[in-house]
Order: sequence, then C-alpha cells, then structure tokens
Amino acid sequence: MIDKPWVPAWILLIGSASTLVGLSWDLQWHNDVGPDTFYTLPHLFIYAGSAVSGLVSLAVVLAATGATRSGRTVDTAVGGRRVAVFGVFQAPVGYLVSGVGSALFLLYGLWDEWWHGLYGFDAVIASPPHVGLLTSVMLAMLGSVITCAAAAGQRWAGPALVASVAVLLGFSMVVLVALPDGSVVDERTVTVSLLSMAALACVASFTRGLRAVVATATTLLAAQVVLALFSPWATRVYAASEGLPLRDYANGLPRMSLLMPATLLLGVAGLALARRARTSVLGGALGGAALAATFPLQAALLGVALQPPLQAAATIAAGALLGAVGASVGDRLGGALRLLVPARTREVV
Amino acid sequence: MRRLAAGLVTLGLLLGFAAPAQAATAQTATAQDYTPVEIVHQEVLAVGPYELTVGFSTWPVRAQQSLDFTFEPTGGIDRFTGTLVVASPSGEEINARRPPGLQGLPRHPRQPDVWGLDVFALEEPGDWTFTLGLDGDQGPATATMTVPVLEQPGPPLGLSWLISTVPLFVIVGLLAVAVVGGGRQPVRTP
Repeated sequence: MIDKPWVPAWILLIGSASTLVGLSWDLQWHNDVGPDTFYTLPHLFIYAGSAVSGLVSLAVVLAATGATRSGRTVDTAVGGRRVAVFGVFQAPVGYLVSGVGSALFLLYGLWDEWWHGLYGFDAVIASPPHVGLLTSVMLAMLGSVITCAAAAGQRWAGPALVASVAVLLGFSMVVLVALPDGSVVDERTVTVSLLSMAALACVASFTRGLRAVVATATTLLAAQVVLALFSPWATRVYAASEGLPLRDYANGLPRMSLLMPATLLLGVAGLALARRARTSVLGGALGGAALAATFPLQAALLGVALQPPLQAAATIAAGALLGAVGASVGDRLGGALRLLVPARTREVV
Repeated sequence: MRRLAAGLVTLGLLLGFAAPAQAATAQTATAQDYTPVEIVHQEVLAVGPYELTVGFSTWPVRAQQSLDFTFEPTGGIDRFTGTLVVASPSGEEINARRPPGLQGLPRHPRQPDVWGLDVFALEEPGDWTFTLGLDGDQGPATATMTVPVLEQPGPPLGLSWLISTVPLFVIVGLLAVAVVGGGRQPVRTP
C-alpha cells in the first residue's frame, strides 16, 4: 500500500469521481422525478465514493504509523509530510485531510437522516445537513489533491493532480445553489470566477507552467460533457425502472453540468495573457472577468434572466476583482503544495 | 502528453462505468416504496363559477417541511386548464417546480389524475398566498386562498447551521494556514 504511492492516491481519486457522478445524478433525480429513499443508485455512488475514500485514508494512516514505529522510512510521496495525531498515529497530511472529510461525511449523513424524519423528503438542496455533507466531500477531495501534489515528479502524479483538481472544482460548483438570487451583482457568477481562478492559479503556481492548467480545464470540460449526457439519461432510465413518471415541466437539462463553467479555458487564457507578471493577480482578473461575462449565458439555459447592461457590467467588474483575489490565494496555495515536495521538480505534467 | 491522455481516458472510464453499472443493477425497489399521496386536510375554494378542492398531506403546514399539495376541480382536470401563482408572506412570487415565467399547474407525479406539487416546502412562516386560475366551459376565473404556515420544526436554524458549517470552517482554516505558509516563498509563473 505505502510502497506504491500511486495505488492509494488513485483509489482516493476514484472515490471522489464516484461521489461527483452520484451528486450529478442525484440533483437530476430531485429535479426531474422527486422523492427518493436512502437506497437509490445515485446515493450509492455518493456514499460508496465516500466510503472508499475513508477506508483508503484509514488504511494509509495505519500503514504509515506501523512503518514509522518499526523504524522504516515512509516516502513523503505517500500523502506528503506526516502529522502526529493524538500522539499515536503518524498520518500523512493528504490522507489525514481526506480521512477527516470522509469521517465528517458519515456523521453528517446521520444528521441528514434525522433531519428527514423531521422535515420529510428533500425539498431543497441547501438545507443545513446537506451543506455539512457537501462541504465534507469537498474536504475529502482537497485531501485527494494534496496526495497527488505530494507525489510530484512521479510519472502518475501529473495526470492524477490534474484529475483531482478538476473533480474538486467541478464538485465545488454545487455551492452555487446555496447562494441567493442576484441583486446588483450576480453572486453565483462571481463565485464561479473566484473558485475557478483560485483552482487554476494554484495548479499554475504549483507546476510553474500552464500545461497542467490547460489539462485541468480540458478535463473538467470533458467531465461536464459526459455528465451532461449521462445524468438526464440515467435519471429517465432509472425512473422508468422504478415505475415513477417524470414531473410535468421537467426540462431534462443537465442540472449539475450547467453549474460548471463551460468557458473555463477563458480563465486559462487570462492567466496565459498575463504570465509575464510576477503573480497571477492580473491573469486572475482577466480570467475572472471573462468567466463572469460568459457564465450568465449558460445560466440563461436554465431560465435565469440575463441582467440589464449596467448590472452585467457590475458583475463583470466584481468577477475581475474576485478572480484576482482567487488567483492570489491560488498562487499561495500552489506555493504551500510545493512545500510538500522535498525536491524541487520541474514542470510535473 | 501521452500521460495526460492516459489520465483523461481514466477519468472518462471512471465517469463511464456508471452507465453499465446502472443498467446491470437489479431493481429491488418499486413505486410502492414511495409514499403514496395521503391527504389529511382539504379546503374547498370557489373559483368563479367553478369549485376547486385543495388537499394537503400535512396539516398544519410548517415552514421548510416538505409535503404534497393536490388541486382538483370538480369535474376533473381534463375539462380545465389551471394556473397557480405562489407568493410568500413578503409578496415574493416563487417558481413552484416550473421554469421561470410559467404558471401552468403540473399534474401530481404520484397521482396523475389531479394537479399537484410533490415534495414541496414553503420556506418561511406566515401567510402564503395561492392564486388559482381555472379556464373551463364557462370562461376563465381566478381566486385567492391563504395558506397559513407555522414556524419550522426542530432546533433553531442558527444552531443547525452552526453544526452544519463545521466542515466549511475546517476547509477555510486549512486554506488559511496554507495561504500563510505558501506565502513564505516567492512564487513565479514563467
């Protein structure tokens, strides 16, 4: 297990991908069909993904603790530096983060079950237990990114890092549903700018180049297209097999895919245009503005009205500002991830 | 580049394996696993010359609690077209399971012989306003009914949010530590 760093890292990534597929399918189900029990296929994908993540994290922590106690060295390519937990465990930081996220997910699953007993079937996505569940998953996915980054320089680590950031960024877009509908500035759109530029700048600063950033945006676009085809189809087939009709007015549009920015490559272009600058802030502003200008066109597919010109301009300006903030944070996060890698490596993809 | 392609293919497979798994899974659940519509309270509303029965699967209604609503005109839904506008106590209109701007009444998915809203929650306590429209052989008519909604059940929302935002604070704390740590070295992108 810990002799081959790629094995637990890819298992963790598969768990994350399974949860992303499950969430996309589950959102579509609630949108187009309605009631569910705990025992549905979308839930199986979500919970199995989390269980896989939790179990592999626990296995790595126990194996690393055992190895350290018996005096063997554990490669930092396995989840990064080790952190002493309770004075007993020697937990590689990436697997500690993913393990804590997965454990919290189970606790919030119980909280969610109790909540449903009180409130009935899911009527909204942004209920308190759901926010707890979704942010726990994001924490586990963050752990997955750390485990891939810690192995920088190994052949498998580049593609794995790209995939893990794409999965985390794609999944994180679910936070948009918890945001209020627009006022002067469209909060959902500027949040897309913030999160997207943070993720892209993080990859850029970690790999000291843009190839991996292009790969990340392309990977998310591919996942977005696959989920857009899969989720409505799977929902129709599953509803038919359960003997449940689709709701009147269900339009079958891919709910989760439409939350992900299809123009993420414009964010990469922003970073590319300003790559001579010392930091990613200018690139973040350009990319953030481009995303803020284009995302509302995608939201319009869901029936969200386009803002009048003055408010659209305010949204683009706020997108530029938050894109700059996101890129600045992402820059530093990339720097923090580099601290996990003992030897200085060239571009890792 | 080849490694990148391999990574992309792997992710594609990860997403794609869901389809055969979905198709191959034996179905154990049936529609009977889902709660049938059980109406515990009814109100009869005069809409112009017509009569409309509004049913509730929970009564009294509490904020954020999901329930089923049914709307049945005397004579059956086939003889009418129906519309519904739902307004919150503050007067804000909500979409009620339809794309923005559409007001047509959907059939209840688990009881298609009546109109209805399934698994539907009214978010805030207070007097909600349902404006119902019917268009039948005696022309169009509308009527308004008030749906009183009590306070939400369970613990205070503030406490629920406090419990539920722990992972969010963990993420923010982790990122804050990383941002401070990551700032200790100059970062350049070539």
